[in-house]
Amino acid sequence: MTENEPNTDDDVRSDGSGIVAPDDETPTWRERKERTVGLSRLTYEYFERSRREDQDMRQASDYVERDVLAFPTWPHEVIRNLAIASFFTGMMLFLSATLPPHIGPPANPSSTPAIILPDWYLYWSFGLLKLGPLNPELAVLGGSKLMADRTYGVLANGVVVGFIAMVPFLNKGSARRPVEQPFWAAVGIAGVIFAFTISVLAIKNLFPGNIHLLFDLTFLAPIVGGFVTYAVLKTMREGYMYDLNKRYYRLRPPK
Amino acid sequence: MADEFIKGLGIVTAAGLGWLVLAGWYRTSSFESSRQLIESASSGGSLFDAMGIALMDGLLYFALIGMLTFWVLIPAGRQARSAIRDRRSQ
Repeated sequence: MTENEPNTDDDVRSDGSGIVAPDDETPTWRERKERTVGLSRLTYEYFERSRREDQDMRQASDYVERDVLAFPTWPHEVIRNLAIASFFTGMMLFLSATLPPHIGPPANPSSTPAIILPDWYLYWSFGLLKLGPLNPELAVLGGSKLMADRTYGVLANGVVVGFIAMVPFLNKGSARRPVEQPFWAAVGIAGVIFAFTISVLAIKNLFPGNIHLLFDLTFLAPIVGGFVTYAVLKTMREGYMYDLNKRYYRLRPPK
Repeated sequence: MADEFIKGLGIVTAAGLGWLVLAGWYRTSSFESSRQLIESASSGGSLFDAMGIALMDGLLYFALIGMLTFWVLIPAGRQARSAIRDRRSQ
């Protein structure tokens, strides 16, 4: 590295400006203040430049880079997968051994039980079938509903799936971390909270509390959570940009 | 900060799991009831039942207070201390 260093300036400078970037590429204070491009662009430039500097240093040294495509399966991946598989196996053994056995009466195929539930990962869809109170009674129809509550619930599935399918077209997802795009992070958090609350609504038979309050919270909690997330991330973004700029300009001190 | 997060998460999940199992025994008359896990405790009267109920309540408070301590109190204390230090150094 000392022999083939592209920078012919031999004396080591303590401010770090020698090996990092040529002086004509270091932005002046005016350029920094005029920088109005997005934060994701700044982040990209920051990592791209550090990557290029790393590449320059490697090319200047006698370090031989091998073609390492991935970690070998043994032992790295196998050990990790064994740990995960052991955890879940142990959890199943623990719960089946310790929780009290729940053996109900024999199933009666000629009558529907009071509580019917799908598997837990379909609770959200089951909850959408319980949106009857949202189905509007239209005055032009003489106070009757346009469609049955069950049809309304099935169509609600289409709304949710349609929104999820639309999001990638609205936002490409160039942000590396939530603080870079507070609005879309807030949309995501609201979606996660809604997935949870609509799942709780699906099992309202087992909910200990006011069912009407639960129904309202199902739709209000995601909105409130989204607003709080947006406010927090918007506040954090200033500090995040400050840290990023500080790191960027510590590597490349101004002239 | 990450250390504090995993301490709080470990406490709330491990102690919460223990509370869940014991509450399944002592606070659940039916798993189709809406009061499962939060009924008043039914003690069998033996010494082991009393120990189980005491452990159940202890684990619940340990989960809640442990989570609160590592996720709220300790980080807030550090923030306050650094803020005070910054103000004094100015």
